[in-house]
Amino acid sequence: MHIAGSGTFALLLHSLSFSTVGEGMAEPAYTVASDSETTGEEKSSPAFPEIAIGIDIGTSQCSIAIWNGSQIELLKNTRNQKMMRSYVTFKDEVPSGGVSNQLSHEHDMLSGAAIFNMKRLIGRVDTDPVVHASKSLPFLVQTLDIGVRPFIAALVNNVWRSTTPEEVLAIFLVELRAMAETQLKRPIRNVVLTIPVSFSRFQLTRIERACAMAGLHVLRLMPEPTAVALLYAQQQQQTVHENMGSGSEKIALIFNMGAGYCDVALSATAGGVSQIKGLAGSAIGGEDLLQNMMRHLLPDIESRFANHGINEIKSMGLLRVATQDAIHKLSTQTSVQIDVDLGNGSKICKVVNSEEFEEVNQKIFEKCEKLIIQCLHDAKVEIEDITDVILVGGCSFIPKIRNLVKGICKKEALYDGMIPLEAAVRGAALEGAVASGISDPFGNLDLLTIQATPLGIGIRADGNNFVPIIPRNTTMPARKDLVFTTVRDNQTEALIIVYEGEGQKVEENHLLGYFKITGIPPAPKGVPEINVCMDIDASNVLRVLAGVILPGSPHPAIPVMEVRLPTVDDGHGWCAEALHKTYGSTLDLETVQKKI
Amino acid sequence: MACTSLSSSSAHFIGSRVITGESYSQHPAVSVKFRPLRVSAAAATCESSTEERTRGYAPPRHIASPASLYEVLGIQMGATCQEIKTAYRRLARVLHPDVAAAESNTTAYEFMRVHEAYETLSDPEKRADYDRTLFRRQRRPLSSPFAMSGSGVAMATYSSPPSSGFSGYTGRTWETDQCW
Repeated sequence: MHIAGSGTFALLLHSLSFSTVGEGMAEPAYTVASDSETTGEEKSSPAFPEIAIGIDIGTSQCSIAIWNGSQIELLKNTRNQKMMRSYVTFKDEVPSGGVSNQLSHEHDMLSGAAIFNMKRLIGRVDTDPVVHASKSLPFLVQTLDIGVRPFIAALVNNVWRSTTPEEVLAIFLVELRAMAETQLKRPIRNVVLTIPVSFSRFQLTRIERACAMAGLHVLRLMPEPTAVALLYAQQQQQTVHENMGSGSEKIALIFNMGAGYCDVALSATAGGVSQIKGLAGSAIGGEDLLQNMMRHLLPDIESRFANHGINEIKSMGLLRVATQDAIHKLSTQTSVQIDVDLGNGSKICKVVNSEEFEEVNQKIFEKCEKLIIQCLHDAKVEIEDITDVILVGGCSFIPKIRNLVKGICKKEALYDGMIPLEAAVRGAALEGAVASGISDPFGNLDLLTIQATPLGIGIRADGNNFVPIIPRNTTMPARKDLVFTTVRDNQTEALIIVYEGEGQKVEENHLLGYFKITGIPPAPKGVPEINVCMDIDASNVLRVLAGVILPGSPHPAIPVMEVRLPTVDDGHGWCAEALHKTYGSTLDLETVQKKI
Repeated sequence: MACTSLSSSSAHFIGSRVITGESYSQHPAVSVKFRPLRVSAAAATCESSTEERTRGYAPPRHIASPASLYEVLGIQMGATCQEIKTAYRRLARVLHPDVAAAESNTTAYEFMRVHEAYETLSDPEKRADYDRTLFRRQRRPLSSPFAMSGSGVAMATYSSPPSSGFSGYTGRTWETDQCW
C-alpha cells in the first residue's frame, strides 16, 4: 500500500511536469525530487521487496522481462510481441510509442513523424560524430556544432515539433510501464536497465532522467554484456551442481552488437559468482552498416537529403526500409536484389552480394575485431582459456560477424544456450530479482556479479593530457588516488577538470565536471602536493576528493573538497573550451612522478 | 542493496570531521539535485584520514586487521592459484556490497581490501614481488610506509596488529595516507 501510494504520487508529479520538458532551460525539479524520494522510500520499506523489472532499451528494439518466482518471463504487448520497436510517433496531441502503436513503424517513418534511434542520440552534443551520422534519419536532427544538445524534431502537420531524446525515451518507457503494470496487476517502480559499455556517466544521468520522467526508479544500470554474463552464470549454476567456488572456473567472451552499439566483455564465472575481467565498447552497430549500405546504393545521399523536405524524408525512409531488408536477407543468402522507387524520378535497381556488403563495411568489422582484442588484452585472458564464446544482439546473425568472432577466439562453435535478442533483457530481469533481494529456494538467484569500470576516469594534467586515476576495467567499488602539483611559483589555485574515456588528449574524452581548488599556500612550483582521489561506491556513484598538502605538514592545508560527479549539464560541450579561454594554462597541474 | 545511511556511516567514524548530513541539509536546494548521499565507509575514511593520520586511525571494531595479503584472504602463504580464486569468491560472497547487509557500511572498504589482495596474489609477478617484500620485512621492519612502492603499497594500506612484529606502520588505512 505504501508503495502504491507513493507510486501514484510520483506518477502525478511526472505527468504534471512532462509538458515543461520541451521548453529546455531549467532542470525540472521533479526529476530529482522523485529520485531522492525513491531512495528514501527504499530505505524505509524493505519488508516487502518489490521485484525490479528488467528493461533492454535497444537502439531499434526493446524488451521487458521479470523474474516470475521461478524463471525469467518476457512480457508481451497486446499484439503478442516480445520485441517492440523503439520509436515514438508524434501525430496528434498525444505521442505514441512502439509498444502500443497499431501503425507500422515503416509507415510512420516515411512521414517524418516518428523519432527513433534515441539511444544513439541521448546525452550527446552536436559536435559528436554519432549525432552527425544521425542526420540522415527521416526526422530532423539539426546541429549548430557548438557543443550543445542537438535539435531534434518530428514533423507533425507540416510543423517541426521539437523534442529531446530524453523525452522520447520517457514516452516510450511510460508505455512499457503501463503495459507491464496491466499484465502484472501491480505498480512498477524499480527497474534494471541495460546500457552500452561505451556510455559515459553523463549519458547514464540522461537515462536516469528519462526513467524519472517516466516515474521509474533505476535500481541498476547494467552494461549489456554484463547482463549476458549474469545469465550465463545462472545457466552454468543450473547445469553444474557444484560446490560454491569449487574451482571449475568458466571464462566467457561475450560479444554483443545491436543496432547502435557494440560491446565486448570477458567474465570469469564459478559458483554463481561472475567477475567481469574486461569490458570494451564502441558506438558502432547495425545502424552504421545500414548507413554505409545506403551510401553505397546512393552515393549523393547527403546532399540529396540535406533539406529534409517531406518528399525527401519519404525517399529516405523508403531507401532505409529497402536497405535494411536487403541486409537481413544477406544473413541467409549470398546476394539480394534491391528494387526501390524513391519517388521524384529516381529508382534503385541493383543486385548486392555479401562480398560487397562486407567490403563497404570493412572498417566496422575491423573495429569489432579491435574491440575483442583490446578486451582480451585488458582482461589478461589467453584465447585458449576461453570456455564459451557468446554472441548476442541483432548483428549476431550476420555471417561476417559470426566468423570474425569465431576466428579471433579460435572456436568452431558458439555458445548456443541463449536467444541472441533476449539475452540482455533476461540478464537484466535476473539482476532485478537479485538486486531486489529476492531469494529462490532452488538457488537460482544465488548470484553475484563483480562489476568493472567500462571507461577510465581521470583529470586534465601535464598540458592537455588526460591522466586516468581510475583506469578502465577496475573492479568496483573502487578508490584510487594520484598526486599532482602546481606548474607555477606561488600558484594559489588549480582547476580540476574531470574526464571519462580512453583518449590520451582530454578532448577525446567525455567531460564529467570541474571545480577549482583555491587557497593553495604560496610555494615554489612543484612543492604543494595536490592529491586527487576518486571513489566509486557500490551504487556506482562517483566522487572526486581533492586535498592540498605542503611538505612537512601533517595536515591538509585547506579543507578537502568532495565533489559528486557528473556535474555538467546539457550544454557542456563548450565548457572545456570556455575554461581554457578564460584561464589558459594558469591553473594547470602536472603529475608527480614519484608515484605511479 | 547496500545502502549505507549517513548516520551509521558517521557513527563509525566518531570524532572525524565528516562533512555529511549537516552541511548538505543546510542547502536543500543542493540536496535535491542529487540522490541522497551515500557516504561509504571508504569515503568517510578518506575524509577522516587526513585528520586522523597523526593520532592513528582506529578501524571499526569488527574489522580484523590482518598483517598480510594472505591473511586478508584467509589462506596459507603457499596457496595455489586455485585456492586464491576460491578464497576470493568465498569472501566476495560475504563482503561484496551487493550481498552484504545494508547496515554494515564498511563492506565497500573490506571488499576493496580483499580485491586488492586477490589482485596482487593472483598475478604471479606481483605475487613474487610481494612475497619478496614480505620476506624482507620480516627480517628488517621498514620504518616508514613511504619507502614502499609497487605492490608494497597494498601492504602499507593495511594496519597491522602490534603482535605481528612490524608495528612500524600502524594507522594507515589507504594509499593516500602515504602522500598526505
